[in-house]
Amino acid sequence: MAKHLLGIRHLNKDQIEHLLSLAADFKLRVIEDKPVPKLNKQVVGMLFFENSTRTRVSFEMAAHYLSMKSANFAAGNSSMSKGETLKDTILTLRYERLTGLVMRHRMSGAPTLASHHFGGPVVNAGDGQHEHPTQALGDALTIIERKGDLDGLRVAIVGDVEHSRVARSNAWLLSKMGAEVRFVGPKTLIPSLSAMLPASVYYDLATGIADADVIITLRLQKERMSEGMLSSVGEYASMYQVNKDTLRYAKPDCLVMHPGPLNRGIEVDDIAADGERSAINAQVENGVFVRMASLYWCFTNEETHVDMVTA
Amino acid sequence: MRTLLKNGRILDPSQELDRVSSLLIEDDQIVGFGNDVLDAQVDETYDCTGMWICPGLVDPHVHLREPGGEHKETIVTGTQAAAAGGYTTICCMPNTDPPLDSPALIDFILDRAASPEAGGVFVAPVGALTRGMRGEELSDLAALKRAGIVAASDEQFPIQNSKIMMQAMEFCVQLDLPIMAHCEDMNLTRGGSMHEGAVSAMLGMKGIPRSAEEIAIVRNCLLSLHTGCQLHVMRVSTWGAVEMIRQAKFLGAPVTCEICPMHFAFTDENIGEFDTRFKIQPPLRTQVDIDLLVQGLTDGTIDCIASDHSPHASHEVDVPFEEAPFGSAQLESAVGVTLTLLTHKGVLTPLETINKLSTKPAQILRLDAGTFRPGGTPVAQVCVIDPDCEWTFDRHKTFSKSKNTPFDGMRMKGKTMLTFSGSEIYRDALFGDERYSVG
Repeated sequence: MAKHLLGIRHLNKDQIEHLLSLAADFKLRVIEDKPVPKLNKQVVGMLFFENSTRTRVSFEMAAHYLSMKSANFAAGNSSMSKGETLKDTILTLRYERLTGLVMRHRMSGAPTLASHHFGGPVVNAGDGQHEHPTQALGDALTIIERKGDLDGLRVAIVGDVEHSRVARSNAWLLSKMGAEVRFVGPKTLIPSLSAMLPASVYYDLATGIADADVIITLRLQKERMSEGMLSSVGEYASMYQVNKDTLRYAKPDCLVMHPGPLNRGIEVDDIAADGERSAINAQVENGVFVRMASLYWCFTNEETHVDMVTA
Repeated sequence: MRTLLKNGRILDPSQELDRVSSLLIEDDQIVGFGNDVLDAQVDETYDCTGMWICPGLVDPHVHLREPGGEHKETIVTGTQAAAAGGYTTICCMPNTDPPLDSPALIDFILDRAASPEAGGVFVAPVGALTRGMRGEELSDLAALKRAGIVAASDEQFPIQNSKIMMQAMEFCVQLDLPIMAHCEDMNLTRGGSMHEGAVSAMLGMKGIPRSAEEIAIVRNCLLSLHTGCQLHVMRVSTWGAVEMIRQAKFLGAPVTCEICPMHFAFTDENIGEFDTRFKIQPPLRTQVDIDLLVQGLTDGTIDCIASDHSPHASHEVDVPFEEAPFGSAQLESAVGVTLTLLTHKGVLTPLETINKLSTKPAQILRLDAGTFRPGGTPVAQVCVIDPDCEWTFDRHKTFSKSKNTPFDGMRMKGKTMLTFSGSEIYRDALFGDERYSVG
């Protein structure tokens, strides 16, 4: 049975801790130029059915550090555009002897389907509005670096939770690690029944981020206005923008995070995004190391520590 | 040719009949039941001890897919599946390609259904309510009725414009033609693929709210009340839907409704990790809905059980959940599921069970079926069910072309053993040889 990383929802606390400690270890090794395990027999397919620059580059860097080969797959030019089903695309890649897949797809659950037909590991690089597990791992590593621990923290996830796979993966990870998770946003952008998601819901920004240790702001898609979910960008910004003024409701040392790409002036202002409390650049950097950890974890069968396998 | 069904529990809801007895079929007609038929000289005898002998089952809601969807199901395979399920009369839906909106297509369906290779069940076509099921202009409903449709429906493309629906109802009152309505406000369902609730929120999928179904039911019930048009609401799935229909009946609207087994067997949680076998329209709801749907079955608000047999080819369902079509094969599991989950749990008595699976749907759509009354059916229509037979549903042993069913591998109690439509059209492998004798 191949090991997959399809979502944080499916992991237990031990597995999350293991992935995070692997990532921290890899980070140290890369920065200090120490040996890193070589998975040079592995060829991983980068299947981005949905546009992505940052996540794809981040996975390619991670594969590069692990001495893996990567095969790029641009969905626009592929046989998918000639009417091939996802199943047949996956089977083709399987028998072209790719050993692993990193996959992004606009439909929730598509990597799960791929994992049924592909022999090797499948890593979810974002599926629809379901999960984005490596983003959540990168965010968690960033928080741990700044705060020491996740247990007992209050984390507010602000914005378009309904359409956010980042919000879901973060909620699962942080709650499993003992943090209090809050969803903050307008009623039209929060799932109407979030009972099976481990977070409490706040419609008012000041109450929602009160005494927060971490605020994760989410990108607001412009099409929410045309869909009638919001009146205007200006009204959204006036109610939910994380900025110099609204940050005073949170703890003085509250971290400001954002999965990117940012809409400066909409969900977050320059002072919050670029100030000393911002951890946005650290999130991007740590993304590479958690993706190394994810690939390594999927491609090695036992929960072994890096030290035991590096030469 | 004289056939004796011996010593079974005869259940005929049309005559409130529930007693252990025997039934004699001579040529293609039921000639009598009671103890006196035991003395008759017969050619073959089926020992039905411990089994139910009931009117052939009637399914108001089946998709035979032909013409246009022959890779999913054909009239031949679909009617064979129906016979194996215990059905002798089924209504086929008009959402074929092209839709059943012309008399020539109705002739085609009836010809195919009567062909010797078909399953031997009666097919009662439902015509498209509007031309091309586009919700704009009415079909030639008078001509369709003369061709043999028993009701009109736009199936999964329900008329959104209330004025057109009102005119359709007025015209159908004049024609004395029931309208079967799949109730959905499509502005509220667009892009949705499962029930809007805690599970859709967790899985990150766009939901279909209960109100999408209930708003359309309320509208259609009010139009039915005011026009007097007979309305049959297809596949109710929410507690609110049952409550709305209860109110409409209380107000005197000529409204009936059906439920399909999926909606009392499963909830949205069964979707698990994006299992497309559980994708149906309206979507699987929650346990609260099931509890109140079951109450609606008991108190009679829900009139009948329809299979909503919606076959698809395997390649069409092995896709991401949101891409998958709605529906699955149901004809050969409906009896097992209904007996297991309703009859054996005390929700329905055996007589009520057969009422909802046979007599009531026949009455609603005015079909010559669902009864043992002399002259009630053109030929003998009989179904023999072993209510205590425990078996495991195996999709590879079905007649339907579609092997897409969430009931695969499920233990069931209750199985169709024999189906007669004029003559024997189905005998189950589990009906023991020792129960059958010649002479």
